[in-house]
Amino acid sequence: MNSIDTIQGWLVNQIAKQLGIKAETIKVTEPLTRYGLDSIDSVTIVGDMEDWLGAELPSTLLWDYPTIEKAAKYLVDEAGVSPAETATAEPVAVTSKPKEEATQGKGWGGLWNKISGS
Amino acid sequence: MQPLKQFWVAEALEKDLGDPGNPESMMSFKQVIDLDEKEEFPQEIIDWLYNWKLQHYYIPTECGGEFTRFDEFISFVRVLSRRDQTAGIAFTTMFWSYLVWMAGTDEQKQILSSFMKDANGTMCLAYSEKAHGSDLLGGDMQATKVDGGYILNGEKWPINRATRSGVAFVLARTDPDGGPRSLSLFMVEKSKINPDNFSNLPKILTHGIRGSDMSGICFDNCFIPESMRLGAEGMGLELALKGFQITRALCAAFSQGAADTALRTTLKFAIERKLYGKTVFDMPQPRRTLTDAFLDILICDCSTFGVGRGFSTMPEQISVWSAVVKYFVTTTLETVVNNVSVVLGSRFYMREAHDWGIFQKVLRDNSIISMFDGSSVVNLHALLLQLRQLTKSRARNAGKNLEALEARLATTFDLTQNLPAFNGKKLELVNRGGDDVLQGLDLALASLEKLKTDSNLNPDTLYQIITLTDIVREELNNLDVKITESTFQFGHEQDPELFDMAKQYCILHAAAACVYTWIYNRNHLGEFFANGEWLALSLRRLMSNLRPATSLPGRIDDSCVVQEMIRLYNEDRMFSIVPFQLAKSQLQETTTDATPKLQLQT
Ligand SMILES: Cc1cc2nc3c(=O)[nH]c(=O)nc-3n(C[C@H](O)[C@H](O)[C@H](O)COP(=O)(O)OP(=O)(O)OC[C@H]3O[C@@H](n4cnc5c(N)ncnc54)[C@H](O)[C@@H]3O)c2cc1C
Repeated sequence: MNSIDTIQGWLVNQIAKQLGIKAETIKVTEPLTRYGLDSIDSVTIVGDMEDWLGAELPSTLLWDYPTIEKAAKYLVDEAGVSPAETATAEPVAVTSKPKEEATQGKGWGGLWNKISGS
Repeated sequence: MQPLKQFWVAEALEKDLGDPGNPESMMSFKQVIDLDEKEEFPQEIIDWLYNWKLQHYYIPTECGGEFTRFDEFISFVRVLSRRDQTAGIAFTTMFWSYLVWMAGTDEQKQILSSFMKDANGTMCLAYSEKAHGSDLLGGDMQATKVDGGYILNGEKWPINRATRSGVAFVLARTDPDGGPRSLSLFMVEKSKINPDNFSNLPKILTHGIRGSDMSGICFDNCFIPESMRLGAEGMGLELALKGFQITRALCAAFSQGAADTALRTTLKFAIERKLYGKTVFDMPQPRRTLTDAFLDILICDCSTFGVGRGFSTMPEQISVWSAVVKYFVTTTLETVVNNVSVVLGSRFYMREAHDWGIFQKVLRDNSIISMFDGSSVVNLHALLLQLRQLTKSRARNAGKNLEALEARLATTFDLTQNLPAFNGKKLELVNRGGDDVLQGLDLALASLEKLKTDSNLNPDTLYQIITLTDIVREELNNLDVKITESTFQFGHEQDPELFDMAKQYCILHAAAACVYTWIYNRNHLGEFFANGEWLALSLRRLMSNLRPATSLPGRIDDSCVVQEMIRLYNEDRMFSIVPFQLAKSQLQETTTDATPKLQLQT
């Protein structure tokens, strides 16, 4: 399985579990809001993704990439996230690290600037 | 002069406003009650504050103002609010300028800064709609893109200062498909739009803050240029949520001012009023009620100063802390006002009998603070969604990077330390990296243990502080277990039990804030503060919300707290851990409001 499929699979299972619906009913091309996930939920679910991937992600990831397909594609193609390597790694402690530094280092490109209003 | 610089503005403002008990002074109780009776906007007061140049303290220095830090800000808002919440809230709508300082272009910052400073201008925040209340994404206000700008259509209601403001921060839908990126925020300068396409709804009559300019705003095919958009298109919700982190935390200052007056005027009554040959204050039960109110104010003080400083030291954690403070401080102090009303007896319900009836006005005005800018349930909701993640990060961070954690806690809570400049871009929608305040409990306990060698400390008091702090840690562990076992839900159908867990989190958070405030300021806030009885009593008070009183250490003697309360009253100082100087009250021997200063019988 490639990285995109792994991430998609994880998101489908996670959302199915949290929402109490069958994984088969979730389409990766549908906006997540269709499944009753509201704006703040999709921010909190990023926290779980961070734990799983062991990497810091922008909390508005699912606002800017609102389908499972788009989010997974973005993570792998643009942000260079690779779940197979990082999933087991110790999550990084990010408390005191300045945002800019943390994100630049991981190749977020212009994304952070776009969503933080600068 | 007060040695701590962050209180200079508050003290200077107090001095110039004068004694609120003197009808002739600006913002006197008499004046604000008269205005309230007439439901009249406090224009004279607002003009006076502009002349005093208080608005400069809302504008960061790099944008041409005098603002440097939120703990300074909190203190002067307390000063306004102890006299009149109506005027305080009206003037302080200017704190919404933070949206522009955070996300505006240089030109927008320049426009707003000179509007506030040179034109005595003010703003309003137009988010709510009649049909949608707390549901911001459900709003109907549309901003349709056209050449060079947008066409606004829709209505916002109820909006404070809607009619008198020159700038409205309007949240409107720019993407008809909906979703979290469908809203954008606009800084609408009313002087630059066509008045035919813009109108106000009639004044809304309210129970409290009666003189407020409450109405609504209607846009009817109103063109606004693109330069009025704040941040990128689709940034509206994100900016609104980050802006709320600031304004919600600052709302605590309104409540603290109100609680100060409620306690002060009731204390005045209790000291004067004679029954059964003694004063009301001499009776143990009313004295206990007032002492507990004073303790609650001190508890809230630690949280409010903490978050005020935390904006500079731990901005990425403020999503949690501002929700805690907006819920905990405002509802606790609302309860304080209600509790002391009993001591005031029938006079709490009279409009003329005591201090011009200021108590009743405080009671009415103050009851909106926990509701506006995000109600208590909305804040608890924002918090409970983060609880699972907070529990996980606490486990993950346990025992790690302790030096950095200790340094952050010291800068946040030690009131003598300089603060790094606030950077609004570091605010996060959800907490990043865990919550230092609860993460640091082990460090706090280790510091407390070391104090056992300090011969200046009463060992019984220290024993209580350590035991109770340990109970805070145990209760935090219990809560972590409950959170881990709870089933997470999405959306707005959360279990009431999760709301209870969020409330418990707030109590533990407040308790930890008290402990650090003490640890880091023992050498510079005076003897009463350093001795720590107030802390032992406060922690016991907080923990009695979570455990039966019989399972807590017994209540220690509170006479030093009683004496401190009376000292602050007699010397006209703020009821606070930093009892800064208020305007001196004048003795009016001939009037019925005479205040015989209480002689302490020690
Ligand atoms: C004096 C005053 C001044 C105001 N000033 C302004 C202003 O300047 N600008 C502005 O935009 N608005 C302002 N408002 C509006 C205020 O922000 C709204 O009243 C507020 O958002 C709540 O909306 P609502 O009253 O319609 O209640 P609703 O949102 O309809 O809520 C009703 C009930 O639903 C429940 N509920 C709502 N959300 C949740 C949740 N997430 N979880 C669980 N339960 C929930 C609560 O129990 C609540 O009591 C002001 C209001 C007043 C009274």
